[in-house]
Amino acid sequence: MHDMSAHAAQHHAPTSFIRKYIFSLDHKVIGKQYYGLALIAVYIGMAISWLMRFHLAWTNARIPGLQWLSSVGAPGGLMTPEYYLELMTMHGTIMVFFVLTTAPFAGFGNFFLPIQVGAEDMPFPRFNMMSFWITFVAFCVLMSAFFVGDGPPLSGWTAYAPLSAVGAIAGPGQGTGQVLWAISIALFCVGQLLGSLNFITTTLDLRTKGMTLMRMPLTVWAWFITSCMGLTAFAVLLPACILLILDHVAGTSFFIASGLVINDKMLPHSGGSTLLWQHLFWFFGHPEVYIAIVPGVGIVSHVLITNMRRPLLSHKVMIGCMGALAFLSYMVYGHHMFVSGMNPFSGLVFSFPTLVITIPATIIVLIWIFSLYGSKLRINSASLFALGFISMFVSGGVSGFFLAQPSLDIYLHATYFVVGHFHMVMAVAALFGIFTGTYFWFPKMTGHMMNESLGKLHFWLTFVGTYAIFMPFHYLGMAGNVRRYQAFVDDYMQPLLGVHKFITIAALLTGAAQLIFLYNLIHSRFRGAPAPPNPWEATSLEWTMPSPPPFDNFGGKHPVVYHDPYQYGIEGSSNDYVMQDSPEQIHTVRDEK
Amino acid sequence: MNSTQDRGSLARDLIVYVAILVIAALQFVIAYQHIDGAQMFARMLALAMLEAGLGVLFFMHLWMETRGFLIFVAVFTLFVLAAMNYLWPDSFRILVGAPFSSYH
Amino acid sequence: MSHANVAVGAHSQELSEGSPFSIPTKKLVMWLFLISDAATFAACLMAYGFLRNATPDWPKPFQFLPTVVNAMVMTFILITSSLTMLIAIRAAKAGNKSKAFNWMLITAAGGIVFAILHIREWLGMIGEGATLFHNPWGTAIFGASFFSITGLHLLHVTGGVIALIVVGLRYRGGRYNADDIEILGLYWHFVDLVWMFVVPFVYLLNVAPTH
Repeated sequence: MHDMSAHAAQHHAPTSFIRKYIFSLDHKVIGKQYYGLALIAVYIGMAISWLMRFHLAWTNARIPGLQWLSSVGAPGGLMTPEYYLELMTMHGTIMVFFVLTTAPFAGFGNFFLPIQVGAEDMPFPRFNMMSFWITFVAFCVLMSAFFVGDGPPLSGWTAYAPLSAVGAIAGPGQGTGQVLWAISIALFCVGQLLGSLNFITTTLDLRTKGMTLMRMPLTVWAWFITSCMGLTAFAVLLPACILLILDHVAGTSFFIASGLVINDKMLPHSGGSTLLWQHLFWFFGHPEVYIAIVPGVGIVSHVLITNMRRPLLSHKVMIGCMGALAFLSYMVYGHHMFVSGMNPFSGLVFSFPTLVITIPATIIVLIWIFSLYGSKLRINSASLFALGFISMFVSGGVSGFFLAQPSLDIYLHATYFVVGHFHMVMAVAALFGIFTGTYFWFPKMTGHMMNESLGKLHFWLTFVGTYAIFMPFHYLGMAGNVRRYQAFVDDYMQPLLGVHKFITIAALLTGAAQLIFLYNLIHSRFRGAPAPPNPWEATSLEWTMPSPPPFDNFGGKHPVVYHDPYQYGIEGSSNDYVMQDSPEQIHTVRDEK
Repeated sequence: MNSTQDRGSLARDLIVYVAILVIAALQFVIAYQHIDGAQMFARMLALAMLEAGLGVLFFMHLWMETRGFLIFVAVFTLFVLAAMNYLWPDSFRILVGAPFSSYH
Repeated sequence: MSHANVAVGAHSQELSEGSPFSIPTKKLVMWLFLISDAATFAACLMAYGFLRNATPDWPKPFQFLPTVVNAMVMTFILITSSLTMLIAIRAAKAGNKSKAFNWMLITAAGGIVFAILHIREWLGMIGEGATLFHNPWGTAIFGASFFSITGLHLLHVTGGVIALIVVGLRYRGGRYNADDIEILGLYWHFVDLVWMFVVPFVYLLNVAPTH
């Protein structure tokens, strides 16, 4: 029966170092491992973005030391155009897959989902362990592209065919590097599928007594909805990656059309379609955007409620909106392909649900804002980042209205407008969700408080810095500045170079501000003040246990849940809140039922 | 809770088995009908869905699970499969519109 | 083992909210996996359909003999193996261990015969010059999609046969119970189900026209 028991797997606390910290079956350790992986990945990704930004602003300047990373890509420290594209590919792939998916979903989800529903562990801890280690191997395979063959691929994180499919003839990294990329992403898909299976079964089957579906915190709902998306989205990317690998190693031509001429040479491939890759990729790719953002929505709601000491206007509408985002995310993917040469009629069909999807997103934001209105929000690092999330979500979302319409998108597509849009609404917003979760849950995860002053400093620098970086992107895009060019020095875009220099300086400074976060994280982990069980006076189950939680979460007991997740502002109670597992009878002011 | 559940008799399994075999045989007959490709595809798809439906409901016993689970599986799966069908217009567009995309 | 499980199950029933679908967790996880696997197969079949539809001179090389007859036999064997799996599950639920085990082995044998017929067919096609990147009948995509879709299915059948034997042995040895047989049955029926789409689209739509 082993790892397949019908309940939260019961296992004894491991004693050996390897079982405890490396090949651990404990969901909390696996959650921390995912978080750690994301932390390494995000700083690598950020360093790459520094290199790219520096190159864009000072194209002919040497970057000392870069030649050690790649003597071909940056001879004497001077970045070649190809190497710029290689770095861009790696930046996107690392950030989207190994940061925005692993940290808010797999990282926090693994740690807190079982605890928040009152379970001892996930039902299939071995799957869980495999999920992390497969993801880890995927990361190593991706990183190895830097050092194997002639470098990483240069086809971007979307790996558009035919560039991604034709092999080494298309440029450096398109041979070995692209195959490594595809293997890495295929492995990543398998890892996330295993994770999703665990998340869904934990949510449905392992809820403790009294934890009805409607009593689950919004974070649990967010992770549950996300894993439903992950279950089917990654299942489509997996065969797409395998077909791409076949195109490379087995001579097939799924994604290569007939009569393709590269470097004056006609390729022997025939019969494939480049659009097919885009369809398969974006069928995954759009749900992926929501896989990155929905956990952030859950975390931000959770943190805001705790800090404003009252529930949201409507728990159920919030859940419904997150579900609607997931549902609609399968119907809008073609808006990435408006200028791909796809059928214009499809463009219209995709445009409509794309505009519709802003309705649940807007309702989510309105619920936050009207719940915040008149509340006495406790200002701390976590709640500041939650507010920052809302700000990014709105700013990035508004530009989505423009891009959703094919007639406008034809002008704006493949310009910096799109880069600014998705960096704000997906990348930075999801990162703010990760920061929110980190400042909020760090005491629970490690048993130490984080430094609040440094946290607030980190917030303000990041918040202002993000706007300084990404707002000008929109103006650049409207001025016609195309994306994925490695230099703007000698063509019509030269007048925009000043803006690029400003952005680069802002990016370097904002990136430096992230070192404050890293310092805070490491320093607090070892020197931070010891954390009480419930530092934020929150109500959900993770705050009923010591910080950090013991191996079996609830000390062998099974908590019983009596209340909805967010019982704040309770009059007549000794505190202003009632924990979910408190048997206390209460009369709630805003009982939804 | 599950072991005691009624899952019908062996006779019903046999009936479903024969029905699926008959439908499968019909597909082979259709393959030799003199009809155009679109017609043939439509008939094959309808029969395959009927076959698969019988298989899911009675071989995999989805019919004997709770209605909530049946709806969850059916809606989830069919929605995702339906959402994939967005790619067809482009397939036709390549056929009639773009040069060099087919083998000559 | 099964007694212990019932006891733990009853125990946890009092302490947990229970599944909204009232099915065991392992069964749920198998269903979820199958949903995701269905998406994987659908993506492959859609990709094949996309390319096939976009190719005006798609080859139709399959003759009644050997390919269509072979496909008939394979279909018959796979659907029949689903029936034998059902009998195995029924026997397991009734507590008849040896009968259940024997019917599982018959099911696995069906899978093995299916795989052998399939590989023989592959070898025949390869003998005629069909590979992943070239074939004598027309567009190269024909061979690529034929071999990758049937290959993915064959991989599932092979995995299923191995699982049938391993789970069967462990069931006889007492490590797995009747519920586990049923869960494995779900997978086996699913593989059968996929074949119901592979046959018409990959084989029968490519049958050489008769006059």
